[in-house]
Amino acid sequence: MSVSRLSRSAIFAAAALAGSEYGQAAAGGDRAFGEYLSAECVTCHQVTGQATGGIPAIVAWPEDQFIAVMQAYKAKDRDNNVMQTMAGRLSKEEIEALAAYFGSLPIQPLRN
Amino acid sequence: MMIDRRRLLAGSSVFGAAMVLGAPALLGQAKQRVVVIGGGAGGATAAKYIAKDSGGAIEVVLVEPAGEFITCFHSNLYLGGFRDLKSITHSYDRLTANYGIRHNRQAATQIDREKKQVVLADGTRLPYDRLVVSPGIDLKYDSVPGWSQAHEETMPHAWKAGKQTEILKSRLAAVEDGGTIVMIAPPNPYGCPPGPYERVSMMAHVLKTAGKTKCKIMVLDPKESFSKQGLFQAGWEKYYPGMVEWLGPKIHDGIKSVDPKTNTVETGFETYKNAALVNVIPAQMAGKIARDAGLANASGYCAIDPETMRSSVDANIYVIGDACIAGDMPKSAFAANSQAKVAALNVRGELTAARVFPARYANTCWSLIAPDDTVKVGGSYGAKDGKIAALTTFVSQTGETEAMRKEQQAENMGWYAGITSDMFS
Repeated sequence: MSVSRLSRSAIFAAAALAGSEYGQAAAGGDRAFGEYLSAECVTCHQVTGQATGGIPAIVAWPEDQFIAVMQAYKAKDRDNNVMQTMAGRLSKEEIEALAAYFGSLPIQPLRN
Repeated sequence: MMIDRRRLLAGSSVFGAAMVLGAPALLGQAKQRVVVIGGGAGGATAAKYIAKDSGGAIEVVLVEPAGEFITCFHSNLYLGGFRDLKSITHSYDRLTANYGIRHNRQAATQIDREKKQVVLADGTRLPYDRLVVSPGIDLKYDSVPGWSQAHEETMPHAWKAGKQTEILKSRLAAVEDGGTIVMIAPPNPYGCPPGPYERVSMMAHVLKTAGKTKCKIMVLDPKESFSKQGLFQAGWEKYYPGMVEWLGPKIHDGIKSVDPKTNTVETGFETYKNAALVNVIPAQMAGKIARDAGLANASGYCAIDPETMRSSVDANIYVIGDACIAGDMPKSAFAANSQAKVAALNVRGELTAARVFPARYANTCWSLIAPDDTVKVGGSYGAKDGKIAALTTFVSQTGETEAMRKEQQAENMGWYAGITSDMFS
């Protein structure tokens, strides 16, 4: 799936406005399981949706996009050995659960 | 003691109901208490995840004397001039404000395992239902002949971030061109396996930037090999030619003695007199509080159940981070953060009706060799054959492109922001 930068931003904004109910309504995966699995992700990716340095934000993504990206890491179609390792041990259901959980989170405003 | 009595009364008043419902912690009146010793990457993470995910059902007390935490990780970047001290200093205020964690600013002096109480420096006894022990490492001050705690300002270790790091940094700045720096590296196992070698890189960078390229850094290592060795040595050759010399034990034949008065280091092979700076990183062991409580074995570290992070010797205690024996996982902030989440989940599973999932662990350690040149090592881990075992691992390769190394430094900075946000907010 290819999403332009502009349209992806628009999707993010809509997701952020809708807050957590957005993801719960749309979730295909097990959100509670995803929340547990997410603990491994948030050591690097900020749960607030803020991005720093070379670690991108991963909250409020459309679920199918999140799944496509993770599957590409799992298949080693995308570079980055950290992500290949993390995605490599995740099953299809686990990736869907993560997509449901992170997709449900709003991007939080920066705090001081 | 007031608290004890109140807790006892609260406990007995719900006893009948608990017998029927079988879930006393969910009734509210008998809130169970988890005490966490140590506010580093393990302890702060465990405190936060237990408090946050139990939604107030568990009372969490973080026992940590410091009001703010200076991270050991990225303290080498402070040494190298890539970060300031403020940027690696973090407050516990958000943990207390956001999750209701009580921060008790005292040192824990004893664990009374019989009574399930932690004794604090002022003599107060803090009862716990479950205890998370995350004290990090202690230095073995008697492991280098001639060197002791009394000499830690003359020959700094800088293996606890803060004042020691500042001493090392100011001493490094005062080294004159042509001076010799001697680093005595630690034996395994110790906190942050690539740390000494990233430090060597940062020292060399500072010297090179100041035009002091006639300086020499001698690394005297008790180990035959070290983390990311090929990557570091290729980097030293590329960026700091002639400035770094690493000697393994077969070459230097052991550290025979150090003399802090004359800044002399004597090995079986050679004596380094009047060194401009001696950085002694001694052997290490689990923090005293864990050892005194009998949680450590003969190795000086604490055995744990790899499925849960529970202590092998006390079912009410979890040991996480550098103090534990984590099998194939290195002692790192990332690893401690990962172990803390497994412990937090299992603590909640025991005290509340939380769903418990199989343990998963991960680690990545980035190391900066020169500006825009960062390498990494990492892996995923799980419980296997009675230990935390590596499932898949990766390490940077020599000859990676400049663009890739630069990208990895951006990742390193992003990871720091991520993990400190995960720990402290």
